[in-house]
Amino acid sequence: MIAANAPVQRRSDAKLLVIDANGRITDAPRSALPTLLRRFDLLVANDAMTLPGSLAGVHVPTGRAIEVRLAGCRSLVDAIGRFTGVVFGAGDFRTRTEDRPLPPTLAGGDRLALGPLRATIERTLDHPRLVALRFEGTPASIWDGIAHHGCPIQYAHMPTRLAMWDVWTPIAGAALAFESPSAGFVLDWKTLAAIRARGAQFVTVTHAAGLSSTGDADLDRRLPLDEPYRIPGTAARAIAEAKRRGGRVIAVGTTVVRALEHAASRDGIVPAGNAVATQRIGAETAVHVVDAIVSGTHEPGTSHFELLRAFADDLTLRRAATELEARGYRTHEFGDSVFIERRVRCPACASGHEPRLAA
Amino acid sequence: MDNGYRSNRSSALLGARIAITGGTSGLGLALVRKCMARGAAVAFIARTRERVERVAEDLRPAANVHGIVGDIARKDDIHPVALQILGALGGVDVLVNNASSLGPTPLALLSDTECEDFDAALATNVLGPFRLTKALLGALAKSARERRGAVVLNVSSDAAINPYAGWGAYGASKAALNQMSRIWNEELVDEGIRFLSVDPGDMDTPLHAAAVPDADRTALKRPETAARELADRIAMALTDLAASRASDQREPASLA
Repeated sequence: MIAANAPVQRRSDAKLLVIDANGRITDAPRSALPTLLRRFDLLVANDAMTLPGSLAGVHVPTGRAIEVRLAGCRSLVDAIGRFTGVVFGAGDFRTRTEDRPLPPTLAGGDRLALGPLRATIERTLDHPRLVALRFEGTPASIWDGIAHHGCPIQYAHMPTRLAMWDVWTPIAGAALAFESPSAGFVLDWKTLAAIRARGAQFVTVTHAAGLSSTGDADLDRRLPLDEPYRIPGTAARAIAEAKRRGGRVIAVGTTVVRALEHAASRDGIVPAGNAVATQRIGAETAVHVVDAIVSGTHEPGTSHFELLRAFADDLTLRRAATELEARGYRTHEFGDSVFIERRVRCPACASGHEPRLAA
Repeated sequence: MDNGYRSNRSSALLGARIAITGGTSGLGLALVRKCMARGAAVAFIARTRERVERVAEDLRPAANVHGIVGDIARKDDIHPVALQILGALGGVDVLVNNASSLGPTPLALLSDTECEDFDAALATNVLGPFRLTKALLGALAKSARERRGAVVLNVSSDAAINPYAGWGAYGASKAALNQMSRIWNEELVDEGIRFLSVDPGDMDTPLHAAAVPDADRTALKRPETAARELADRIAMALTDLAASRASDQREPASLA
């Protein structure tokens, strides 16, 4: 696929590859998304606003330049102040993460000076570059410091520096995500009105989408990290209502799938409230709630792609990959989209024919 | 009923999350105090760090107030401000676009107005409110969905309607703000977001003193009076939205 390398959230020629429950693949303009919805369907998106979580600064004990990428938090309640972070050596997004120099050796107690922010490494998290961080100061001063010093986390496929407005979806409105829940770029206010006009409903959950890649094979195998999420009462009620009326629950993005399926893992019901998603979703995951997903296009080997394997069998995904390639789809966060209706599950296809990637 | 349901005007601001631009003087500051007094959590935004810190200090020990430094006229300040509003308040139910620029001071005939002064009035009075509102629309729509209500109040002026000589940059920009409010109110009615455009009248504020230095201040409205009227308008809008949700809920096709 072609790397989408301009920060345009909604290109007028954006495309949507549609895979239905029987594995039939069709190609549509992305603007046709509302026409895929039916009465009583429920579209669920992630309304997290994206923190500018790339913080350049200095490892105080050695005086060496570092970049900290905030990668996760424990809770959405009072989320600011304590974070999980991935530390890189000198440089920025223009260098591929795989090629970035390592940071100096990090240890608990090390102080970091990140622009106006001061932080202390509480401890390393079973990896020399993954750390628990605590920021100094009041919540207001930490928000202020991140808002002014931080930059959106970005990768080398995007040559220009992203601005905060590039990574906020139109529906962003709650703390917080570390990388943009970019499937939500598909939504604008006209689309939401069109969805409503079809008798479908729209709700949001908040899920703290973490890093999608670190460039370190050991760390990447641990992705996604644990992600806190919040399901509002209105969303929980709307999901129950959609199920009762035979509507489909359609997740906008992998983060929504992770939140809803985690919430429903006990008894199949999605309750309102705060929790932390810890599970991985892959080919063998039984999906309880989400009937279809709208997602960006993902490359095999990523945790996002693994999640799609819970919706379509590998043969179908391979056919889809061929179509994406042949039709010139764009990939990455500003790329084109796929709509995958969960397959009619049969035991033979559920097991798949390819070895499951190591957890 | 939902916990966000507000049954009457006197309690409608209780627990509401309100962001007010230009909150360190004049009408803005009076409105910050009024909303706090009615039990709202308030974030105010102003340009100078020293003033923001001083006002925040004055308003303490109240825990329900947050000062944020930013210039609404600067595009690059908008998202940092929006991020801090949502961080401080956990969301936003009411946005008051109050920060205003007169354009040239002393006031000048439109024919004598420098383009740069007109630009400045548009940046503060039109583009700033457009950008900040757009950045917060997701949060406002979320408040509406979650039955808290969502209101944007744009502070207008009779100069937006009447062609007062010498008020060209200000009047033309406020007229644009008025129309923007009306169009957004039409477009976002189904999202449950209400837009208000309110003329608070001639008040004894720094902005009025800059415009009319020799005015008889005793004849001017006190900003506290105007702030009470604005708070009432916000409360009324939140109450109306709650009432229309309640009537929606009674329809048989709605959520059980």
